[in-house]
Amino acid sequence: MSQSYQAVGWNRQKKIYDLMILIGVFLYIGIFLGIGFSFFPNATAETLIIRAFGTGAFVLLHIILMIGPLSRRFPSLLPLLYNRRHLGVTMFLMALVHGAFSILQFHAFGDLNPIVSVFVSNGEYDSISQFPFQSLGFIALMILFVMAATSHDFWLANLTAPIWKALHMLVYVAYTLICIHVILGAFQTDVSSVYHTLLGFGVALVLISHIIAGFQEKTKDEETDSEIDGDGYKKICSISEIPEKCAHIATLSGERVAVFNFDGKIAALSNVCQHQNGPLGEGKIVDGYVTCPWHGFQYRPEDGASPKPFTEKVPTFKVKVIEDYVWVHPTPNAPGTHQEPVKLEDKNA
Amino acid sequence: MKEKEFYIGYLPKAPKGIRKIIKWVTVLLLILVGATSFLMISSEKDFDNSTFEFGEYNSFEGIIMENPYPRILIERPGETGVHPKYSQYYLAQFGKFGGQKMVERLDGKSVNLQGSLIYRDDQTMIEIKDNSISHDHTSDTDRIPEFNSILPQENLGTHTLKGEIVDSKCFYGVMNPGNLKVHKACAINCIRGGIPPVFVVKDGNGNVGYYLLQDKNGNAVNDRVLDKVAEPVKIKGEVIKQGDLLILKADPASYTEL
Repeated sequence: MSQSYQAVGWNRQKKIYDLMILIGVFLYIGIFLGIGFSFFPNATAETLIIRAFGTGAFVLLHIILMIGPLSRRFPSLLPLLYNRRHLGVTMFLMALVHGAFSILQFHAFGDLNPIVSVFVSNGEYDSISQFPFQSLGFIALMILFVMAATSHDFWLANLTAPIWKALHMLVYVAYTLICIHVILGAFQTDVSSVYHTLLGFGVALVLISHIIAGFQEKTKDEETDSEIDGDGYKKICSISEIPEKCAHIATLSGERVAVFNFDGKIAALSNVCQHQNGPLGEGKIVDGYVTCPWHGFQYRPEDGASPKPFTEKVPTFKVKVIEDYVWVHPTPNAPGTHQEPVKLEDKNA
Repeated sequence: MKEKEFYIGYLPKAPKGIRKIIKWVTVLLLILVGATSFLMISSEKDFDNSTFEFGEYNSFEGIIMENPYPRILIERPGETGVHPKYSQYYLAQFGKFGGQKMVERLDGKSVNLQGSLIYRDDQTMIEIKDNSISHDHTSDTDRIPEFNSILPQENLGTHTLKGEIVDSKCFYGVMNPGNLKVHKACAINCIRGGIPPVFVVKDGNGNVGYYLLQDKNGNAVNDRVLDKVAEPVKIKGEVIKQGDLLILKADPASYTEL
């Protein structure tokens, strides 16, 4: 959870995760270069390295982009989401090797500054077939650099979550730029159709998974359509619909609200985790705290505040229980406001 | 009712059921990663045979021909029969530069130099090692030779050829591949730096022709062909055979994109 600044907060899960990342990277690069050097002796080492790291980074980017939608659909895959930022940084480092070798090979040791050369050597910006594809790759690399550089929670806290999230949504811009970089670059040469098929497959997977996840989320955002009483409380659900230590999620005035049932009590707070907007309502009460399923951030159900020394807070909501039904007032309390949970033996109060 | 498993990343272990699923998913992902890598590299088309003897230096003795693109003419030993008496090797310096500055004021002079060979088919270039050129001013050969006498010229007529303009240094061996779109920016940088632009023509039967580009007056065309580099191009011009070298003379403004 949040802290002023600390380099990676290692734990056993992260170490295993990172070990798997390393194995995957070595596997990909090892196979590519091993076969490349063995079966293509005429290929220069720089060419094979550029292709190994470029394709490897792109494959990894596809995996990264699939984790979000897949874990929405299959919560058992949430462990892949937990340390996803390490995947992102790894992918950037691989892309950096590709970019650095490319710039060194194609743009350095000439009469122009290598970075300037990336943008001006080929000036045919008005042509599709001759478009300077390397400019697109460079811009994508810069986006990935900014994302990698701000991947730590320190930046999340200091940039504020909305800005940080907007920044990291630029991954989709980077992905699009890289697709066009490949299509206007490597695909303009005599490459095997296997590459076209792989790219098409990858793009289709990313698009389809996002569309499915998007529709799934959209239906959840539909306003909970139910009775409103004279005090403005909205009828949400029956107590029996909320498993012990879990939540029922409702949408009130456009915002999702998580209604938790725990230890004979009912409490409601915002569904949106202050860390990275994770769905608190899909989490659980653990040791008396609402625990986010994405990264384990915790909040007290009675006031929406994180336990000390952490400072995150979410809004709470007024709740009442009448004849086994839970009613919630749509107007949120300010984040961290104490709202006494309703004891079920006190229902009808 | 069995409590649903819940994953918390900072705890030492994931719940048993989730652990099992993730284990299999990880194995599957690693297999996919390995398989994708194998598929990617095994789908590569073969690379052409070209060589750059990077870091290996040989000594050469010959006559410098400065214009329009620096070359060294090296006498072939013994009887050459129908072949020209002299081989022609293009000259370049380190990086994306031709050898112009290194052979300034040495036109027609007999020199010794060291350099690394770059070669492809019957085309050869030498990347000159810094400070390796030596010229004996007292030598009897310190005069401008009559290049026409040592490099016989033959006019092969006017031809229309289709091919690609490449920079000879990369294409002959420094990079592989050293042509087409992915190499375009580098080729532009090299040709702008003085590397001789060569027109590569393939006839579809595996035969490749290499034509050194000059304008109608036999001058270098580097800056005038940059917008056509690495694109399919048609050039109509006079083909001259100079020694073993084929030269295509045409106004760069007349080149047409295909």
